[in-house]
Amino acid sequence: MRVALTVWDGRISPVFDVCREALIVSVEKGVVVALSREIVDPVNALLKIQRLVELEVETLICGAISEPLHRELTSRGVRVVGFVAGEIEAVMKAFVAGRLPAPELSMPGCCTRQRRFHGGRELSAGRARGQGWRRKGR
Amino acid sequence: MTERRKPPIDPRLPEIATDSILESISDGVFTVDGQWRVSSFNRAAEQITGVPREDAIGRRCSDVFRASMCETECALRHTMETGATVVNKTTFIINAAGTRIPISVSTALLRDAHGAVVGGAETFRDLSLIEELRKEIRGRYQVGDIFSRSASMRRLLEVLPRIAESESTILLQGETGTGKELVARAIHGLSPRREGPFVAVNCGALPDTLLESELFGYKAGAFTGANKDKLGRFALARGGTLFLDEIGEVSPALQVRLLRVLQEKQYEPLGATRTEEANVRIVTATNRDLAQQVESGAFRQDLYYRIKVMKLELPPLRHRREDIPLLVQHFITVFNAVQNKRVTGVSPEVLGVLTAHDYPGNVRELQNMIEHAFVLLHEGQIELDHLPSDVVPALRKGTGHFELAESISAAEAQAIRETLERCGGNRLEAAKALGMHKSTLFRKVRRLGLELPQQDGRTRRSPRAKETP
Repeated sequence: MRVALTVWDGRISPVFDVCREALIVSVEKGVVVALSREIVDPVNALLKIQRLVELEVETLICGAISEPLHRELTSRGVRVVGFVAGEIEAVMKAFVAGRLPAPELSMPGCCTRQRRFHGGRELSAGRARGQGWRRKGR
Repeated sequence: MTERRKPPIDPRLPEIATDSILESISDGVFTVDGQWRVSSFNRAAEQITGVPREDAIGRRCSDVFRASMCETECALRHTMETGATVVNKTTFIINAAGTRIPISVSTALLRDAHGAVVGGAETFRDLSLIEELRKEIRGRYQVGDIFSRSASMRRLLEVLPRIAESESTILLQGETGTGKELVARAIHGLSPRREGPFVAVNCGALPDTLLESELFGYKAGAFTGANKDKLGRFALARGGTLFLDEIGEVSPALQVRLLRVLQEKQYEPLGATRTEEANVRIVTATNRDLAQQVESGAFRQDLYYRIKVMKLELPPLRHRREDIPLLVQHFITVFNAVQNKRVTGVSPEVLGVLTAHDYPGNVRELQNMIEHAFVLLHEGQIELDHLPSDVVPALRKGTGHFELAESISAAEAQAIRETLERCGGNRLEAAKALGMHKSTLFRKVRRLGLELPQQDGRTRRSPRAKETP
């Protein structure tokens, strides 16, 4: 499967809507087999989405993403793992191991909007939409 | 007389007071240390961002704040690097619910008791309310992304909410570039299905066999090369709206399949043995005369009646010229934002030419003209030189003012004719609508050699006239 991670400063870019660069990663049987960098349109979000669709990206891992763009991507068949934060390497490792979304790699205060996936297969159905990670003692 | 002694002041008071003030103000405030980690976060910042303070403290500010300027134009970085403050810079953040919130940002350096820089402070103000008010003012002429102040379009926009509420199939008919997809999106946005996806398919852009698999999807092994299951657009639009553009281009074989989906709300992906439920609202569009296609046998009559449960005609731009200034301003605003330019508007000559043009390509053509001007211009006003040469051919011949005056006269004549028609021939009403005195209207009519309609519109409106046998 092909995955895109939006990148800035070695980390997941904070806002998908205006991000400039994506790392396109091909994963087969839990192993990264190909990796390339792609410059994407920072201003026109629809062009950016179009480019990801052309690259046959199946899953997008990104930071904050506005709801209309999330819907547009979903309607084009791209699965979105949004509001992710952290170093690219840590995020990639977690994704390959089927540990995304994860509280330690989520933006603060954000719900983990989607269930966990591994190689396109759903692993956990523990949290419904709108329910977030909660810290101990909160 | 005994001397009144002042009560002792708590040495922590200034600090407590600062905390109380920060907690009570409506502007969001946060501070960062030298490593861009959030070190304080007030109540308003929690409310605006949707991030609880305990989650924000210690995290990188870009992960907490999520502003559009974080990557390239961070105001705080600018202040920390140069020492210069930033005041009221506008940007947007994305809150925890995925909503874009317009804000204005101001920054300052954070110093310790000895004056050494220990970080930065950022205050931000939620501009949502101001944006809402702006939208409300614009909303008088706007539904979804459609802008119009013309009577014909307004009538259409007024019925959209009621049409959107129903589940009926809709047929949008209009010339190319009249905004059929925008209307379809507006219907989706106003419908109970708005939380679901909006999926558009251009039926004329794909060959028949591809279109079939694109619409209904297929199962692995359905045909050579089908290595894995593929969801069709009907499946992707589940719970939402499926927009079938250029429906008149669909082949007779596919028309039969579409008819079945519309009748039974069910379909089978290619190679599937199980029937799937089609939980979508269908909006179709065409620039052809479907009734004529039915007569000639190119389009199935039963399908035609199925899709035109509600039929909406979109007027071409040349029939609603009063929208041109509004649309021009809209496109300038959009292109300024998208291309980061500072174009202020168009010159009166350009507006005259744009208003007089016939627009076979409709709104899309107007949009392309403005985009053309943006390629040549970075800031200031759009002049005739910035328009495509085929729009102002007479001027290119170099004789100048005469042709320009003609263009303006043609635009004036067109506006007067259309307003008179709309007002049923009533001269006074037409003059008011055009923002001029009645005698000015008559003078212009004479100068432009226009013929006034025979009916003057007054008898139609007089109650006494109605009673007269």
